[in-house]
Order: sequence, then C-alpha cells, then structure tokens
Amino acid sequence: MATFSVRNGLIALVQGSFLAGALSACVQAIPPELVSAIETIDQQLVALKAPEIAPEEYARFVRQWVPLRARVQSDDDLVRWPWETNDLETELRRLHEEGGSTLAKIHGERQAQQQRAQLKVLRVEERLRALSTQIDAIDGRIVLGGKPVQTDLLVKQARSFYEQHDYQRSIEAADRAGKALQVQSALLARELGRYADEQHISGWQAIAQQTINWSRIHRSTAIVVSKAERVLTLYKNGSKVVSYPVRLGFNGIREKQFQGDGATPEGRYHITDKRGAGRTQFYRALVLDYPNQDDRRRFAQGKKVGRIPVVKQIGGQIEIHGVENELMAQTLGCVMLDNAQMSALFERVEPGTPVSIVGALTGRNAVAMALAKLGDHEEET
Amino acid sequence: MNVTINRLAPLVLGVVLLAGCAKPPAEQIDAAEKALKEAQMSGAATYTAQEYAKLEASLAAMKKEVTDQDGKFALFRDYGKAEQLAASAKADAERVKADAVKKKEEAKAGALQAQRVAQEAVKSAVDLVASAPVGKDRAALEAIKNDVEALKASLNQIQLAIDKEDYPAAQTQAKAINDKSQAVSAELQNALAKVGKGKPSAPKKK
Repeated sequence: MATFSVRNGLIALVQGSFLAGALSACVQAIPPELVSAIETIDQQLVALKAPEIAPEEYARFVRQWVPLRARVQSDDDLVRWPWETNDLETELRRLHEEGGSTLAKIHGERQAQQQRAQLKVLRVEERLRALSTQIDAIDGRIVLGGKPVQTDLLVKQARSFYEQHDYQRSIEAADRAGKALQVQSALLARELGRYADEQHISGWQAIAQQTINWSRIHRSTAIVVSKAERVLTLYKNGSKVVSYPVRLGFNGIREKQFQGDGATPEGRYHITDKRGAGRTQFYRALVLDYPNQDDRRRFAQGKKVGRIPVVKQIGGQIEIHGVENELMAQTLGCVMLDNAQMSALFERVEPGTPVSIVGALTGRNAVAMALAKLGDHEEET
Repeated sequence: MNVTINRLAPLVLGVVLLAGCAKPPAEQIDAAEKALKEAQMSGAATYTAQEYAKLEASLAAMKKEVTDQDGKFALFRDYGKAEQLAASAKADAERVKADAVKKKEEAKAGALQAQRVAQEAVKSAVDLVASAPVGKDRAALEAIKNDVEALKASLNQIQLAIDKEDYPAAQTQAKAINDKSQAVSAELQNALAKVGKGKPSAPKKK
C-alpha cells in the first residue's frame, strides 16, 4: 500500500512538473507590439491623407488590415504552444512590412508633390509680380482687360490650396495661372509688339526726323511726342529746345482706333487752333487736326476688315492741353502737360506748327524693354 | 438499445439536414451593400475617406467569408460569421453615411458663408467704383473698373463649384475673390483719398 502511494505520488509529481513546464512555455498568439505597429502605420497613412491622395494603396492596406484586426480581436485571449505555427502572425508581419513600404512610398510621393507645389506656387507668384511691375511701368494694365484679376485669383487659389496641404489642387491652380500668364504676355506682345518692331521704329524715327527737318528748313518750331517714353519735345530751327513729361489717354499706349477707346493717335498732325484762358476747360489747349487723311483711311480699312465695330465713330478733338483741375487730371486720348509747362509751350507755338506723335524713337524704349523682360521671365520659367 | 437508436436516428438526420441547408445571409448582405452605396452617394469617399475605405474593406472581408463558406462541403458550411460581419458593416455604413452627411453640410455651410463674404466684398468694390469721380486718373480708374468687372464675373465660379458640390474649391475661390476685392477697394480708396471729390467733366469727343 505504501509502495503504491509513493509510486502514485511520483507519477503525480512528474505529471504536475510536465504540465507546469508546458504551461510556462506557452506564448501569446499575437505580439501586441506588432498589432500596435500596424495601427501606427494606419494612423500615419491617414495623417498623410492616403485615403484621399492614394485611395487605391490605402484600400489595399485596409482590405488586409480590417479582417486581420477582426481576427486579432477574436483571437485576443488565445495562447498557443511554442511549436505551433501561427498564420495570423505571419500575415500580420507581412502586412506590417507591406504597410511600411506603402507608407514610405506615399510619404516620399507626398514630399515630392509638396516640393513641386511649393516651387510652382513660388514661380507663378514671382511671374505675376514681374508681369504686374512691367505692366504698371508702361501703363499697360488696361490692355489686358480682366485677365490680370483672373490670373491673380488663380495664383491666390494655388497658394491657398498649398496652405491647406492640398498639393494636387495647388499644382493644378498654379499650372492654370502659369498658362494665364502666358496668355497675358502673348496678348501684350501682340498689342504692343510694334514698340519692339524695327520696322515700326524706323517708320516712327522717319516721321520724327521729317518733322525736325521741317523745323530746320522752315526755321520754325515743331513738336515730337514719344508715347513710349511719355515725352514731348519742342524743336526750333531743327534743334531740340526743351522736353516735357506728358500724360496720355487712359489707353494711350495703344494706337487709336475709334472714338472713346482712350488711345492716343499716332501720326503727323498740325496745330489748328490755340485755345487760351476761357476757351478751354483744360487751362490752355492746342487743337490738332486729328483725324487726318491717314487716320480716316486706317479707320475705313479697320471697319472694312472688322477690326473696328461698324457703329463706332472716328472721334476728334485731340489736343495738347493742360490740366483743368489737378485732382481731376483726365484725358481720353489727348496729350496732357502740367500747366506751367503747358503755358511755356503755348507761348512758343502757332497754328500750323507740326506735331508728330510716334510710338517710340528708339528700339530700347520703355515698352520694348518691358516686353523683353517679360520674355526673359517666360524663358526662365 | 435498438429502440433508442431507432428513436434518435430521425433526430440526428434532421440535425444533419438542417446543417446541410445553411445558406448565405443574402438579405443582410444586400442590406450592407445598400448601406455602403448610400454612404458613397452621401459623399463618404470625399468627406470621410478613411472610414469609407475601412467600410469597403469590411464588406470585402464579409464577401470573402461567404466565398470561403461556399467553398466548404455543404454539411460544414456556417454563415454565422458572415451574417455578423454583414450586420456590423451595415451599422458602420450607416454611421459613416451620417458622418459624411454632417461633414458635407458643414463644408457646404462654410462655402456658402465664404460666398456671401466674397459677394459683399465685390459689391463694396462695385459701389466704390460707382462713387469715384469721373476726373480721377482715368487710366487707373478704367483698370480698376476692369478688375471689378472680372471679380463680378468670377463670383459665378463659386456658384459653379457649389453646384458641383465641390465645397473646398468653392471656399478657396471665394477667399481669393474676397482678398482681391479688398485689395481693389483699398487701391481705389487710396486713389480717392488723393483725388478728393471732383465734379464730373462735360463729355468730350476724343
């Protein structure tokens, strides 16, 4: 009996030891740090806006993560023998690796996209600033109509989307702004390109020279106005006497087409009347013979080819005048001087004095320079 | 003993037959898919993108579970888990839809508010231009008029974005228009401050 008890006791001890040993060798089914690492990847993907910017990659990740997480939750309290294989852990490890690669890829793409957006926004802002500066320098804003505002709005949107970290939309808006800037530059070049055109400049130089020659031959005064430089020069006996800065019509940089367009005409004119105090609202005025024959011919041709609307009139009463009220400095196509200078000029000229108004007298005029700078900027970007 | 077996046999057969008749929870699956579709229609993919992606994944998991069970021998099929997944996906889809609707409404309200602010800013600029004396530096005034006309026209872009339910774009456009309108108004006010009030001149032929 005693022998039996000792044997049973030994067996029980061995069994107990084995069980205890076996239990102590049991491991958790899923390492919690693995699950938490995948959760972190998910959070980082969300922080990178992967669901929005890389929906396919994120969908591929969650298509695996969602069912695996469900399995983790259902297998949470289970333990396994060390020698048992665990396919759930294997799959989680694979997902961890794959998710890490996806995260690195999206992070890299996102950074590249951010840099691209930043560069594009900065470039387009710089180009807009350069264009605005050049346009203001030549009073060319009116030539572009509503385009500068449309472009400015696009640039602002590009910046705004960038600040919202919506880099894709920022790039799209910057690209649209870039194209709008190109259109503006092209429009300026088309409308004002004659200021950089040698043939035009030669023609204007010839007109100015003929006027100066006339002054020399007739031992009289003559006036040359350069629109690009906004300068009126008085000649006497073929020599320069004095130059005055002038203001032109609100659209003065353009070639006059019809009444009310605000442009200042170009051509050879003469003073037809001198209007002193009481005969003009603009202090003193020298009335020119606009429209002359050339103007009428150009106007008729413009209407014929549809460049000028049929309802438009050719206009008139183009003058060199002073300022009625400095606070109301206004000209719709005339050439305007400060009153003191107008007074001096008024005393030196007579009806019949030739007045040539030209676009520019040199190839390096303000408008041509501004257009060249815009061209340089286009090439840089 | 034989009597006992004879009595138990039909019961065992019945249980086996019942198990063999297990079918996919078609109704619950349809309901979950319908809920997902509704969530998508409510803009969940845009306004709750992360939740929506997980919802799609849940539905994919549910379908896989059904496919796995379909692949088993009829007697061993158990669609209990699939049913549970379908119910859970449906509940999630309804929650995601509600979240998306809420966020979309918030985005819409934000866009409409930004639109109102932009409209007011443009109107102020229009009123300022209208009150500017004719004699103001004409080149600047004409340019500002062009700017204001362009701003008025651009208000339409906000409405187009709202109509397309692209509220982030609408809000961004509205902000740009508001900023530009204020800049134009400031430019005009600055010019007016220099010019003062002048009387309009008689129209002239030019």
